[in-house]
Amino acid sequence: MITLTHFLVVSACIFSIGLYAVLAKRNTIMILVGIELMINAAILNFVAFGKYDKINYGGQVFALFAIVLAAAAVAVGLAIILNVYRHFKTINPENIHELKD
Amino acid sequence: MNISIPNILDQIIASIPLFKPELTLIIGFIVCIFTALFMEKRWKNSTFTACMVTLVFSLYYLVDQLSTTGTGFSGMWLVDMLSTYARLVIISSTLIIAIFLQQRHSKNNGDVYSILLAATLGMHVLSSTSHWLMAFIGIEMVSIASYILVGYFSQNKIQSEAAMKYVLFGSVCAAVMLYGLSLVYGLTGNLDFQSAEHLQGLMDAPEAVITLALLFVFAGIGFKLSFVPFHVWSPDVYQGAPTAITAFLSTIPKIGAIILFARLYQSWSSTAFYFSELSTWFIMVVAIVTMLVGNLAALRQQDVKRMMAYSSIGHTGLLLMAVFAYQDAFSYLLFYIVAYVIMNLATFIFIDQLEQQTESTSLLSYAGMGKKMPMLFTAFTLVAVSLIGIPPTVGFVAKLMVFTSTFSVFQSSGNTGILLLLVVGALTSVISLFFYFKIPLYAFLRDSGKESYERKRSSVVLLIIAYLLTATIILFGIFPNWMMLMLS
Repeated sequence: MITLTHFLVVSACIFSIGLYAVLAKRNTIMILVGIELMINAAILNFVAFGKYDKINYGGQVFALFAIVLAAAAVAVGLAIILNVYRHFKTINPENIHELKD
Repeated sequence: MNISIPNILDQIIASIPLFKPELTLIIGFIVCIFTALFMEKRWKNSTFTACMVTLVFSLYYLVDQLSTTGTGFSGMWLVDMLSTYARLVIISSTLIIAIFLQQRHSKNNGDVYSILLAATLGMHVLSSTSHWLMAFIGIEMVSIASYILVGYFSQNKIQSEAAMKYVLFGSVCAAVMLYGLSLVYGLTGNLDFQSAEHLQGLMDAPEAVITLALLFVFAGIGFKLSFVPFHVWSPDVYQGAPTAITAFLSTIPKIGAIILFARLYQSWSSTAFYFSELSTWFIMVVAIVTMLVGNLAALRQQDVKRMMAYSSIGHTGLLLMAVFAYQDAFSYLLFYIVAYVIMNLATFIFIDQLEQQTESTSLLSYAGMGKKMPMLFTAFTLVAVSLIGIPPTVGFVAKLMVFTSTFSVFQSSGNTGILLLLVVGALTSVISLFFYFKIPLYAFLRDSGKESYERKRSSVVLLIIAYLLTATIILFGIFPNWMMLMLS
């Protein structure tokens, strides 16, 4: 029997993996993948909780909108990374530091 | 399920009058895409004209809405005085930003106006909702539009780096906020943060989970408001983005976010349970740290745009203080917002004018410029005086009102934290004197080594707007009642 707890544990794991990727990876594309994992963890949570919201299915609707917005944000992010690559010839965030105090 | 589809449709149709200004923006957004694609080559500035017409129509419908209050779309859309005034400020400042963009980036600028309208729509959504779904859509709309705006004109390393930092930091904050929202939804089963069911769910929840959920949610709002510790992106992005876009970023997204935060704080701090205490402490600590970090870091900046970024972080601290003191009367929060927007728009127009002359945003390049452009630097100094909060300017009145209302909260509760908040607020105002006055110091009292300066394309329209804004700063500083009468 798969209960709500199983879903929550899985989503917490996915969120942690995503956060690790964001903090540790040295490739901007991998950071975007990490962000995507974090968003998907939240979406899984929403759908799991949505089962108990019998009145208006807020969780499912929120999940749908979150998927659309995440896709839009990633599209913009990739375009900007491409632009960065044209100027710097690298997408390692550690080598991109023209702006600093 | 006793709601039938005809009933829902009737409700949606009945809510449309409340949604007119936003519908205008949606139509204008689509029209702008088409004019940028097909008309821009034949008639220059056709997209700009379409954008201006949209904004003016939206403004007209908003003025029409001034006397109405109500909710629409099953309680997801909330129209009251606070939201209508906030949207008026948003639309008016977007008008100025659109003129700014048209004057400064006259080539290849077609799509910028449609993106600007999309950002405005997102801000409208943020400032007139109490539903988490709408709030998240609003935040993402504003964020995605801002990423594109920062990257749109990028021609060199600095600008593309600023866009990349912005998009990565913003997406992480949005993802963290979404996870926090999913936890809040799981704890309460309701997405409207003003509803009784939502508050009841938060009261019953365990403390550890609620701390995590609330901090995650505040991360997303904190990114838009750029308060500490989510402020690290703003100096880099402000410095790297074109000045017209920086003027946009420093003013308009903050209006929507602060209105959302004010509504959230008002409903979450209303009980005597753990989560209310947590949010009260959070806002107090964050306001104190934000004011200190913003003003102290601004002291050692040599780039004007970077200095203004830290200054706007400092002003965010004061805005949080205004939210903290916001109980029933919203007029001083709005007064502070209006004052902040006017001051920042004027400052960035002046910075842009000087950038055109000296091709630099460094403070050192202002040396000796005061004698060559006395009018501009006198106005610039007046705006700086207002940003510090010295009479007779609107900045002084705004700060005074926030301080007095916070002091009255202190008197009624006797909490030492509030006293600390007041002391830090006053102290940082004094600190801010030192870095704002660097501008007139360099301009009037230092001599420049080189005499070479040629009068390049300086925009008369922008200068007139900036002088008008400066006049407004003085006018509302002497007669604050005029604005208070409008707002109440």
